Amino acid sequence: MANTTVDPLLEDITGPTPGQMLRRRVFGHQGLIIGAVVVAVLLVIALLAPVLAPHDPYVQNLAMRMKPPVFLGGTWEHPLGTDHLGRDYLSRLIYGARVSLLIGVVAATISGAIGTAMGVAAGYFGGRVDAVVTFLVNVRLAMPVVLVALAVVAILGGSLTVVIVVLGLLLWDRFAVVMRASTRQVRRREYVAAAQAIGASTPRILLTEIMPNVLNNLIVVVTLEMAHAILLEATLSFLGLGVQPPTPSWGLMVSEGKNMMLFEPWLVLIPGAVLFVLVLAINLMGDGLRDVTAPENRS
Amino acid sequence: MTLISMKSTIAAAALIASVGTTWADKANDTLSVAFTKELENVDSYFNSSREGVVMQRAVWDGLIYRDPVTNEYKGNLATSWEWIDDTTLELKLREGVKFHNGEDFNADDVVFTVNFVAKEENGVKTQRNVNWMKSAEKVDDYTVRILLKDKFPAAIEFLSGPVSMYPNEYYAEVGPSGMGLKPVGTGPYKVTEVVPGQHFVLEKYENYHDSPKGQPSIGKIDIRTVPDVNTQLAELFSGTLDLIWQVPADQAEKMAAMDGFTVANESTMRVGYLSMDAAGRSSMEPNPFKDAKVRQAVNHAIDRKALVDNLLKGKSVVVNTPCFPSQFGCVTDAAVAYEYDPEKAKALLAEAGYADGFTTEFYAYRDREYAEAIASYLNAVGIRTDFKMLQYSALRDLNMKGEVPLAFLTWGSYSINDASAMVSQFFKHGSLDDARDDQAKADLDIADSSTDPAIRKEHYAKAIARITGEAFWAPMFSYNTNYVFKTDVDYTPTADEVLRFTNMAWK
Repeated sequence: MANTTVDPLLEDITGPTPGQMLRRRVFGHQGLIIGAVVVAVLLVIALLAPVLAPHDPYVQNLAMRMKPPVFLGGTWEHPLGTDHLGRDYLSRLIYGARVSLLIGVVAATISGAIGTAMGVAAGYFGGRVDAVVTFLVNVRLAMPVVLVALAVVAILGGSLTVVIVVLGLLLWDRFAVVMRASTRQVRRREYVAAAQAIGASTPRILLTEIMPNVLNNLIVVVTLEMAHAILLEATLSFLGLGVQPPTPSWGLMVSEGKNMMLFEPWLVLIPGAVLFVLVLAINLMGDGLRDVTAPENRS
Repeated sequence: MTLISMKSTIAAAALIASVGTTWADKANDTLSVAFTKELENVDSYFNSSREGVVMQRAVWDGLIYRDPVTNEYKGNLATSWEWIDDTTLELKLREGVKFHNGEDFNADDVVFTVNFVAKEENGVKTQRNVNWMKSAEKVDDYTVRILLKDKFPAAIEFLSGPVSMYPNEYYAEVGPSGMGLKPVGTGPYKVTEVVPGQHFVLEKYENYHDSPKGQPSIGKIDIRTVPDVNTQLAELFSGTLDLIWQVPADQAEKMAAMDGFTVANESTMRVGYLSMDAAGRSSMEPNPFKDAKVRQAVNHAIDRKALVDNLLKGKSVVVNTPCFPSQFGCVTDAAVAYEYDPEKAKALLAEAGYADGFTTEFYAYRDREYAEAIASYLNAVGIRTDFKMLQYSALRDLNMKGEVPLAFLTWGSYSINDASAMVSQFFKHGSLDDARDDQAKADLDIADSSTDPAIRKEHYAKAIARITGEAFWAPMFSYNTNYVFKTDVDYTPTADEVLRFTNMAWK
């Protein structure tokens, strides 16, 4: 107890460390926490699908068709009821999470890689590179995504792989636009000039000086495009051109329930609600990550 | 997703609002009916859809009429007929009949119509309906002779079905496209308005002759194209539609439990079946379907009774024959029936060298739900399916090229009550024949051209035994149609999937 006197001046200077500040910002951001928790829970559910699903999502029982969920008078045998072929709805939802998340993550990764490479190159080098990239982005923006996806899938046939690749190759435009703009801002900064002055190579500058400072924008676009890809998959599957039955997909479930929408609306509402929650959670998480990592919030 | 369903809801609401003003009901003597599909051409020789058959029966008449209940042939535009020889049919025509435009009906109309449709280059959509006729000649004003290319025992059946009589002067002037926009016939209803893609208005023909079809009772029929079943149901609730048909079993069941609507179910001649590439035309390599054991395994793998009881419901039945059981020559006893036995299916696959099963493309063009359920049964015995849903025309083209290893298909036989309309369509080495079996073709050739019913029956039986024994197809079930209408409409549907407006009345 003797040496507890602290210099009041010193206390002023030390304050919380940057790590503590980051943690404070993360945990103080409600949207980020809610979004991250929901996405994490869905991710765990998707990964543990075989353990969690009460039934095999592919086994049909025609005598047990369209049994209502438990909150509409059904039984706990099928907590969310059964679909038009008597398959357990909860199990199909759980397996459907795998399809949705897989498509979201892989499609966003493919398009992110393409778009970031193009955007950073255009923003950093400018000139002809910029002109070419801008032209490509314009060409891409002139094509309606859903229409092109529909056409390609109609020609190649719908399957999980085709849908992922098509979406991955189509959704890079926003990455390119955002990365180009952020890179242009950053490349005139003093630290980039400093790195150039000490003779750092271009790849080194791009990786260690540019990338870390545009990463926060990248994260937002990744989440946006993930949500976009998930919705597009649902749209394609709804139109019968996405994931093919019997693979469980939320869009396909909405499409299959559509015919009975007037009489058994839960067939559409349940997968629709889950899709809504996932897309909302991803967007909340993206917004939160941007707020937390944005340079202006660091000081 | 949510956006799309929201859009369709808004569209449905807008549609209901927009038609709400055209009041249609008993008070106005106007019956509103919905068609799911659009007609490519109202001219009945230039479309091949069920809706076209409905229009044809209302607007035009045939020479002969088959009573849909008793199956008895009665004279319509002809009063009597007799075979002069095996290929010449002489008919006496009804006198005093006038077309909707005032033109008199006589032998010239019959001669013109037959000579026009029988000519292949005039491009009648379903050639089988007309290509058995060579030509027609006038004997006198009310007597004609129809000359056949060859012996054709089903001639009377075809004359009472798809072959209807057109006015010669008008048709020569306007042709099929003009006829499609402003149809003129002798039928119980005349067409007063055709707006392609939107609606057709039919009005009672006051001078309709004394026809076995009966006299029309309801004054006006307004037929609108409403593609979505849910929209149709919503319009039925709101009162802007009076009658809908081809309603799926699940929805019909719910409607039956509600007040204010009559739900009637009737069987149809449509048969669903799996077609397999037995002749090995597709590029699948190796092609398991060349092996009869694999095809038999497919037959054993599917619980058709469960499909009928839970999905199709109504008056559907399990079918074992490559034809509809009521058709002449469709000898059900001759068919080999395959009971549901997944273990036996697995054993047969193992015997054929596919103990671990195999993967195949699986095509369908309608009833996705049934196709999915069938795929699920196949998956359960180890036949993994790569499911592909196509438009009918696209699948038909692919099938004609022989590129389809396995498909769920259906055939409605144009409501012709003769086995030749189905089994001979598919097993006589035509472009849609997946089996290409000489033995089946030989028997069908005899059965199709003989005029002796006993001989026909015997050879159809032989062909059916051969086809089912070799399991070229897996016949599945017959279809049924649900008709849902307001309780103030009096109507008893017939078993041939044809809406007959003359049989409808207000209660």
